[in-house]
Amino acid sequence: MLRSPMASLINLNGRASYIHWHFFLMSVSNFIVIVLMLIVFAVALFLRAPGAKRPKDNK
Amino acid sequence: MSSWTARAREFGLRNLPPEKLLPDSQPAYMTSAIYLFGALTIGALVTIIASGTILALKGPTWWHVASIGHSFNSIHLWSVELFFFFMVIHLWGKFWMAAWRGGRARVWMTGAVTFLVAVPCAFTGYISQQNFDSQWIATQGKDGMNSLGVGAFFNVLNFGQMYSYHILLLPIAVVALVSLHILLVRRHGIVPPLPFSDSVAATAESKP
Repeated sequence: MLRSPMASLINLNGRASYIHWHFFLMSVSNFIVIVLMLIVFAVALFLRAPGAKRPKDNK
Repeated sequence: MSSWTARAREFGLRNLPPEKLLPDSQPAYMTSAIYLFGALTIGALVTIIASGTILALKGPTWWHVASIGHSFNSIHLWSVELFFFFMVIHLWGKFWMAAWRGGRARVWMTGAVTFLVAVPCAFTGYISQQNFDSQWIATQGKDGMNSLGVGAFFNVLNFGQMYSYHILLLPIAVVALVSLHILLVRRHGIVPPLPFSDSVAATAESKP
C-alpha cells in the first residue's frame, strides 16, 4: 500500500500519548492543537490580512 | 392591505438593503488578520457540506471499501477539524473585542448557539463511522446521555437515528444558524475595535 509522506513522518496508528499531571489529563495531539490555536490567534492579532493595504492617514 | 409577499419584501429591504447585504467596501480596521477567521470558518463549512454530500450519496460504509471513499472521508474529517480550529479562534477574537456591543447581541448569540449545535453535529459523525471506534464512542456516549436523563430521546446506540441527526437535522440547524449569523453581521456591520481608554489615548497623543 502506498503511504503518504506525512504518514511516514508521524505514525498515527500507535497508541495515543497523554499528558497527565494531577487532575489534568489530555492527549498530546489535543494539547498540540490547542497550543497551535493560541499561536495562530496571537499572530493574527498583529498580522495584516493578505492583500490589505495600510489605511491612509487622515491627518 | 398589502399581501404577505409585499410585506416580506419591504421587511427585507428595510432591514437588509442591497448595499448592506452585498457591500463593496469595509471599514479600515478589517485589514487585521483576526477578521479573517469568520470567513475561514465558512470556507471550512462549505467543504464539510460538499464532502459530506458526496459521502451521503455513497453511503456510510463506502469509505471502508474504496480508496476514493477513504479520501473523501479524510477531506470531511479534516475540514471539520479546521472548522472548529477557525471557529474557536473567531470566538476568541470576538470575545476579546466584546463583539456584542452596538446592538449586536443577536449576532453574538447566533454565533454562540451555532458553536453549541456544531458540537453534537460533529459527535454524531464520530458514531457514524461504522467501525469499532464508533461502537466504543457510542457505548461511552450512551452513559453520558443517560446521566443527563435524555437517553430515551437520543439513543446513541441507534445508528439510524444518529446518522439522520448527523447528515440531516443538525447540518440543517448549523447552516440555518450560520446563514442567520451572516445576515445579522451584514445588517449591523462588523464590530469595531474597542476604543482606547482616556489615559491610553492621552499617552498616545503625548508621544511625538
